[in-house]
Amino acid sequence: MIWELLSTIFGPVWKLLRGGVSPRTVRNLRKEFRNSLLAKIGVALVVAAILVAAFAPLLAPHDPTNQNLDKSNLPPIGFSKETTETSSEMVNGSIEVVNETVFVEADPAHPLGTDSLGRDMLSRVIYGARTSLLVGLFGTAIAAIAGVTVGLVAGYYGGKVDDALMRSADVMLAFPSLVLAVALVGLFGKAAVRVPDPLVAIGIEPGMPASFALPGTVILVVGLVNWVWFARVARGEALSIEGEEYVKAARSVGADDGFILRKHVLPNSVTPILVLATIQIAAIILLESALSFLGFSGTTLSWGFDIAQGRGYLASSWWISTVPGVAIVLTVIGINLVGDWLRDALDPGIEGEGGGP
Amino acid sequence: MSMGRFLLRRILQGVFVIWGVVTVVFLLRFVTPGDPITFIAPLDAGPQVRENIARELGLHKPLYVQYFEYLVGLVQGDMGYSYIQGTAARSRIFNRLPATLELAIAASIVAIVISIPLGVVSATRRHDPADYAATTFSLVGISTPNFWLGIMLVLVLAVGLGLFPTSRRAIGFLPGTYFTALITRLTRSGMLDELGKTYVRASRAKGLPETLVRYKHVLRNTLIPVVTVLGLQMGTLIGGAVITEAVFNWPGLGTLVIEAINDRDWVLIQGSLVVIGAGFVIVNILVDATYAYINPQVRAE
Repeated sequence: MIWELLSTIFGPVWKLLRGGVSPRTVRNLRKEFRNSLLAKIGVALVVAAILVAAFAPLLAPHDPTNQNLDKSNLPPIGFSKETTETSSEMVNGSIEVVNETVFVEADPAHPLGTDSLGRDMLSRVIYGARTSLLVGLFGTAIAAIAGVTVGLVAGYYGGKVDDALMRSADVMLAFPSLVLAVALVGLFGKAAVRVPDPLVAIGIEPGMPASFALPGTVILVVGLVNWVWFARVARGEALSIEGEEYVKAARSVGADDGFILRKHVLPNSVTPILVLATIQIAAIILLESALSFLGFSGTTLSWGFDIAQGRGYLASSWWISTVPGVAIVLTVIGINLVGDWLRDALDPGIEGEGGGP
Repeated sequence: MSMGRFLLRRILQGVFVIWGVVTVVFLLRFVTPGDPITFIAPLDAGPQVRENIARELGLHKPLYVQYFEYLVGLVQGDMGYSYIQGTAARSRIFNRLPATLELAIAASIVAIVISIPLGVVSATRRHDPADYAATTFSLVGISTPNFWLGIMLVLVLAVGLGLFPTSRRAIGFLPGTYFTALITRLTRSGMLDELGKTYVRASRAKGLPETLVRYKHVLRNTLIPVVTVLGLQMGTLIGGAVITEAVFNWPGLGTLVIEAINDRDWVLIQGSLVVIGAGFVIVNILVDATYAYINPQVRAE
């Protein structure tokens, strides 16, 4: 099911890319990639994150939801430590507080330690990559489809249509995206879609969760909150292309507006939209982590959720909040470096566009 | 167009946008699932009790009457009464507002004071250690969730060193980390673009001192697109303030919105969203005024 979802949305995107990206563009991309160490690091980080997310059941050493209270709050390897455990005991009818020094040793079965319920941190971080990347991809796809449609129509028709659409974009922009997203997810509910895990379904890793929760409301909301950025860029492109000779020529032979928009205006706007989409995936992953952190998410297998969980154990178990945060930073740095690479190679002239978290 | 007329037009537009904000926020109650009365009424409430609650809150009236009354109330500064506490929404919102404002203002000052000079240094000393430090800082800055940074600060300062960051000003930069990093990157790339233009070569050839070229002509031209983005991205500062409040459990507007949403206290939800939206529109008018000041071309449009 997840593959069908991905292919129905990204199949047309791929076709559009093949049509809209010229051989010269590909050459520029290659050249820039060869010359830039940062581009290579970015691609490596993104590929690593995608592989981790796709093969989570194979890579995770444990079921990420499996609780084991005997093994709670174990430190990562190399961080075994002494702690003082306070307990109260009844001695001769009165309560006495006993401080005991306990040596908590790291367990090689849990390389990144465990959380307060004894769940394996490494497995949770691996599964968390799925939530982040899927929300990033689907959220951006929704924002792009909605925003590009609005932007192209506004820029192409101009006049009153443009005014009406862009004023509604202004109203959208008046809300900070995080505040709006919190309000929408909070009010519409945190519905999630259970998606069967393809790898577990074909019997490769039967011990792992058979399905995972795709936070549906969150995906819709982060998409809705960010369409404006795509609308702005697409509108600019449509405005600049609208007066071109080939558009006039197409119109003079009787092509209708829908055809011109789809066949001429859209393919010519692919480059800036592609670059914007990359930046937007990064921003949406940050937004998702903030929403999960605040408790507005449909899934508990999320980096932001784990950071919030670990907040209560900072003094004793620092790794619970630290580890997922490092995963977010590495993933988002990777995506931003890829965005920089695309921007430097394609020069789409959209400096500074794109919503923050 | 004179500056006065430009501002007047911009303010009229702003009023229009605020009206849009109020309308959207008002309609939110009717498009979201769940009836507000169900949230307030006791579980065993019969139709009569529900009817009474609806009457008391004015929810029995037709939609357009409620909308009209809400607008009239807002214009008079009345935001209604909280469903849960029964207190005036306005006083609760304005009690919480200063804390958030302080945080957002501190963050934007820190952000602007750091980002623009850092971007300039980075661009003018390309491939220098200072440039590498600035680019690394800004890349990490746009990639790090600020709530996590806040938690890491608590970890290092409070847990590690035994210091407690209790003052809002001490960590006032937190809500603006993304913003600071973004503006640094923009200033750097904008300045690099400008420095490559022919007018720069011409001014140098003419014998103008380098400082004059860089800081008068180039910087001014660089700042024009930077200010646009500054206005558009102010929202990340407010979002940052909201989440920083949540990390440190400060009673601000952000925590109020979250409480109100969890309680389905619609009067408070509407009021605080309207205040945040309107505040944002006002800030953007101020940014546009600055923009028109440094770039007279906009006024001509």
